[in-house]
Amino acid sequence: MKRQTANKMTNSNIKQTGYEANNRRVKVLVLTGFGLNCDIETAHAFETAGAQAHRIHINSLISGKVDLDDFHILAFGGGFSWGDDHGAGVIQALKLKNHIGEKILSFVNQGKLVIGICNGFQTLVNLGLLPGIDKDYQTRSVALTWNDCGNFRDQWVNLSINPDSPCVFTKGLISEKFIELPIRHAQGKFVAEKSVVERLIANNQVVLRYADENPNGSVYEIAGICDSSGHIFGLMPHPEAYNHYTNHPDWTRKAEQIKRNANKAGKEDKLSNIDVTQGMKIFINGVNYMASRI
Amino acid sequence: MIMIFCIETALKPELLDAEAKGLQKKALEYFNINIEDGRTVNLVIIDADFSKSDIEAIQNQILTNPVIQISASDSPLDINFDWCIWVGFRPGVRDNAASTAVEAIRDLLKKDFADKEGVYTSKRYCLTGKNLTYDDVEKIAGELLANPIIQQWKIFSKDEWDDKRASILTIPKVMLNHEPSFQILNIESDEALEQISNERNLALNPRDIPVIREYFLNKDVRKSRTKIDEISQTDSSVVKSNNSSVEPISLADGPTDVEIEYISQSRSDHCNHNTFRGVFRYYDPTDDETVVEDNLFKKYIQEPTLRLKDEKEWVVSVLWDNAGVGSFDDKNNYVITGETHNSPSNMEAYGGAITGIVGVYRDPMGTGLGSRLIMGSYGFCVGPIDYTGPLKATLHPRRLLDGVIEGVKDGGNKSGVPTTFGQTLFNEGYMGKSLVFVTALGIMPKEINGKPSHEKKTEPGDLIVMSGGRVGKDGIHGVTASSEVLSENTPAGHVQIGDPYTQKKMHDFLLIARDEGLFDFITDNGGGGLSSSVGESAQISNGCEVWLDKVPLKYEGLDMWEIWVSESQERMTIAVKPENIDRFMELSNEHEVESTVIGRYTDTGKLHIKYHDKTCAWVDMDLLEKGFPKWEFDATWIPPALRGLTEPVLKEPRDYSQLVCDMMARPNICSKEWITRQYDHEVQGGSVIKPLVGINRDIPSDASVIRPVLSSSKGLAFSQSLFPWYSKIDAYHMMACTIDEAVRRIIAVGGTLSHIGGVDNFCWPDIQYHPVKNPDGKFKAAQLVRACRALKESCLAYSIPLLSGKDSMYVDGYLHGKYGESIKVSALETVQFSVTGVVEDSTKCVTLDPKCSGDLVYVIGVTSNELGASEYYELLGKTGLNVPQVHFEQFKVIYRAVEMAVSSEIAASAHAVGRGGLAVHFALSAIASNMGIEIDLSKVPVEQNNEKYGQTEISYSNSNLGNINNSTLLFSESAGRFIVTVAPENRTLFEKIFRGMASGCVGKVNDDHSNLIIKGIDNKDDDNRNRENRDENPNNNLIANIPIDQLRQAWKSPMGGMI
Repeated sequence: MKRQTANKMTNSNIKQTGYEANNRRVKVLVLTGFGLNCDIETAHAFETAGAQAHRIHINSLISGKVDLDDFHILAFGGGFSWGDDHGAGVIQALKLKNHIGEKILSFVNQGKLVIGICNGFQTLVNLGLLPGIDKDYQTRSVALTWNDCGNFRDQWVNLSINPDSPCVFTKGLISEKFIELPIRHAQGKFVAEKSVVERLIANNQVVLRYADENPNGSVYEIAGICDSSGHIFGLMPHPEAYNHYTNHPDWTRKAEQIKRNANKAGKEDKLSNIDVTQGMKIFINGVNYMASRI
Repeated sequence: MIMIFCIETALKPELLDAEAKGLQKKALEYFNINIEDGRTVNLVIIDADFSKSDIEAIQNQILTNPVIQISASDSPLDINFDWCIWVGFRPGVRDNAASTAVEAIRDLLKKDFADKEGVYTSKRYCLTGKNLTYDDVEKIAGELLANPIIQQWKIFSKDEWDDKRASILTIPKVMLNHEPSFQILNIESDEALEQISNERNLALNPRDIPVIREYFLNKDVRKSRTKIDEISQTDSSVVKSNNSSVEPISLADGPTDVEIEYISQSRSDHCNHNTFRGVFRYYDPTDDETVVEDNLFKKYIQEPTLRLKDEKEWVVSVLWDNAGVGSFDDKNNYVITGETHNSPSNMEAYGGAITGIVGVYRDPMGTGLGSRLIMGSYGFCVGPIDYTGPLKATLHPRRLLDGVIEGVKDGGNKSGVPTTFGQTLFNEGYMGKSLVFVTALGIMPKEINGKPSHEKKTEPGDLIVMSGGRVGKDGIHGVTASSEVLSENTPAGHVQIGDPYTQKKMHDFLLIARDEGLFDFITDNGGGGLSSSVGESAQISNGCEVWLDKVPLKYEGLDMWEIWVSESQERMTIAVKPENIDRFMELSNEHEVESTVIGRYTDTGKLHIKYHDKTCAWVDMDLLEKGFPKWEFDATWIPPALRGLTEPVLKEPRDYSQLVCDMMARPNICSKEWITRQYDHEVQGGSVIKPLVGINRDIPSDASVIRPVLSSSKGLAFSQSLFPWYSKIDAYHMMACTIDEAVRRIIAVGGTLSHIGGVDNFCWPDIQYHPVKNPDGKFKAAQLVRACRALKESCLAYSIPLLSGKDSMYVDGYLHGKYGESIKVSALETVQFSVTGVVEDSTKCVTLDPKCSGDLVYVIGVTSNELGASEYYELLGKTGLNVPQVHFEQFKVIYRAVEMAVSSEIAASAHAVGRGGLAVHFALSAIASNMGIEIDLSKVPVEQNNEKYGQTEISYSNSNLGNINNSTLLFSESAGRFIVTVAPENRTLFEKIFRGMASGCVGKVNDDHSNLIIKGIDNKDDDNRNRENRDENPNNNLIANIPIDQLRQAWKSPMGGMI
């Protein structure tokens, strides 16, 4: 356990707001191993949000060396688990289900939070934790499959947020008309039976939708969904890749324009004064939510 | 009983099959073959003693996603087709999907696979189309879906399917039925050894042969070999050499095949850099003098780098390890290296490229005590993708490019490493051999457990551990193959398919083992396999004993020499102290990484290899230093003017608007966004400057910047340059301009001259003169000497230590032509130069896109009449003479000033002017900002007189330097220039920084319109230019007025539709 603890991240250069001292008590488990790869930045995002993030190898969880019950948030991060060779996230889901399926269900039933990003989202839908309609956490009824273009794509997308969604991770973001995040996937096309999609829409479980072009052919432009409780959130875009304002593709232009506008008004202003990125807000929301409940 | 089961899966019929759609698109675009519909079926064939319920569990729980897929296990899926193409791997080819399936099956069924059991994946494509013929389908199979080097395919018509489909249930199992052995070779004469070299494809240099024989025939050596032979009794596993007249049987009689293979790979040009360490007799007719250049590496790479290492505190480790090490911050060092993977990629593009990128990623993992990967980049140089000429390359350039793009994509993305930079170049010379450059960067703590992380050593008693993949026949003789010109006899067996998944597991495991202090030395298994990694690491302890029978194999039946030199991928060699081995193995198991103790380091001075206690190699560790002769080359320089190169006789064009648009559409200028977007350039969360910038995020950035330490705003900038065209005139200037552009690119985003680390990747055609086979070898050798001279001069001038570098010689190939003739095609002398540097505060970085309307546009640096080998001349089918030259001292002053303008946040945008000249780069700036730009060419700084920089190149004196007209201003590729935009309120400050330097305010950004408007200069020399324009605007002298949309469309049209 000790060995795999993430390096303590100090953020002297990065300002942060929006969380309380209690957040440090929130413990986040970020899965690693078997080809997963966004663990460092995902852990960093949670740490920046004030929580304690631990990067834990899947086998440490399975062997019992690390106990899931010690954590409050479980993060399934991006990557290519088992090379994505037999469907993205399929083998990861199968392995976790077979070894610690009960443990994960109990974690969820305690009202703790789960976030699945990209490969993590793909894993959640194969586990059945999502869509989690009416707290059925074992049925596979949605899938993420090959993009219509047939290829991997890295691009930033505009996402609209459902203000009526129960999702705790997007609560603070309702004021934003759109959020921008990068997608980086080959298998991100959301597919489900019409009836399932209709239920998701009716339940406000569709959290994020691609607002401009549909980059992968997803049904109803779905980019992210949550379960009916709003505690389990899966999304294809990568909020952890927008952990700092310089991650945004337009930051150099925005910075220059803000500086100019302030100059014109006889003031000084900087893009860096924008404290929290849209990506970070997702993590802060999750951590704040748990902090208020422990 | 072992049974063969086949599970087929496919997407539900109502879902779009993107893979089949892609195939349809390519068949239509490449061959005009119309596939009306297609479906892809995935086959997993299981050859194991499983029950029916086991198979059902595999089918339903692992392989079938009930939401989107259909599947079948007892009969094939009933999917309609007119033609069905089945594609599977050849025996022994790495099948990554099969091995992840094995992992999943083991975990699900809690059952292990027995020795002969296995899983094999393949695909079949169900195609419909009423006009499809067998020939069409054969073309689709052979030229789009499969490469016979690694794959096999079968084609079925609808009628044949029922009767013949069982034939696809073949299993590509490797069955060698061979008793492993080693041979003692007869080296009674030089000819005998030469014959062995030819038969075994060893590529031994004829001049090395006597040295090798002398060693093994030496009395003392023979005596010691008799002794070791007595200890380890010769027995049935030793096979007598067939071609022997005396039938040697004892180790004393001659070397074993293991030893000869070891020597061959160690002495190969790939490992030993014989070319760069050779002796060059360089003759320059200008001064009628011959200079002997002994060891280019030492003089032009090592010496300047060591000198700079002394001067620069940030240089940590250079010239000896798998990669160079520089200081990033107080706590971390960065690691960088670059490689090429040309020969394998030319035969199997996907396999070669993925093996290349995954392979170069092992270098930082094996540098010092190992670093964590943080970044990668690519460079592709291929033939024209629309080539329709008579020459037949192994793979058509279009197909080759598709394959290398995909290979680097899978290798990079699945490694979890951002690919933040890359370039793709087209030139017919690369049809002989395409170039695939791959670069890797890592980061490691400066100290690990209180010890410097960049130091490592093996000590007697340390165990030799091999971690990662297993050893098979794949990759055997890769090193010697890349040291040869491609011929029909080149073994295809060295083509491999990299496995980023296995390597990523190993990467994660090794970093934890490193931090726990579990090992003292690590290196990767690349070219030469264990022979290199163990051979080289044992030099430190001065000896080793290797137990080849312990090495885990993919399949039985490998001879000892094969185990020793196999280049099977994803393996590291690690020295572990006996007291740490238990913990090391425990951790390895936890991460499901295979690690095996295969020997131990000693201090006996001997490389001792055993197989089940029998000695199969026993040579002195210092054997390779025993007086092997240097390679020798005649190098004869012929200055370009003496070669008959002249400037073309041109009058100015009239239609600049069309000309600029045509320039934008040139293959080497046009948008290649489709490639860039296939690479994850943001994983690890530290992206600051992306590979694509501008308002529509589609313009290639000068450089990339990442924050490898997320809690810090310190950045690492990275860029690369390639200017092979200039080698047509003089490789000296090719080299200098390549480095200069790379430096400018990194300065343009916020880098600093105070910290630039370089990586040189040479790709050169054969330079050994041969009157028939290589009649221009002496000239190519002279080009190499000149490039090396420029390398040193540039590195010292710009203070760039060469943190790493590689040379890849023999970028030539023999292509068959229309009449069955074979023609040697050599690539242009090419160097990819990579630069990296630390950016103190990445929040001050800039991008190339002009930011605000009203901003002033500056051109920094002098524009001269330097159109030689430019894109403009190439468009006109000319070469010219006036190649761009780098004037280091003048340029450095300017670069410092640009640095200051960027770091003090006065420059709103900065962009290095490169291929295509100002016209192309003004256009890119305009597209990037989507705002109008007005340019007045009369304000562009030009050379005042011909004498300004002195007559450095006498041979160029017939050039018309100083003859500046509008085309020179627009298309000259003079080095040392930037386009910078500045807010009007910063004008005074900006001009103060550039006082006394070549800097001109050439125009402004204006969003009242969205055109690129260019006003020309009055040119008295030319009587008929732009008469029409001038008539319209007599005072304005407008020469081009192009809507940005039109520029964008021209720029995107050639490759914009590709995905």
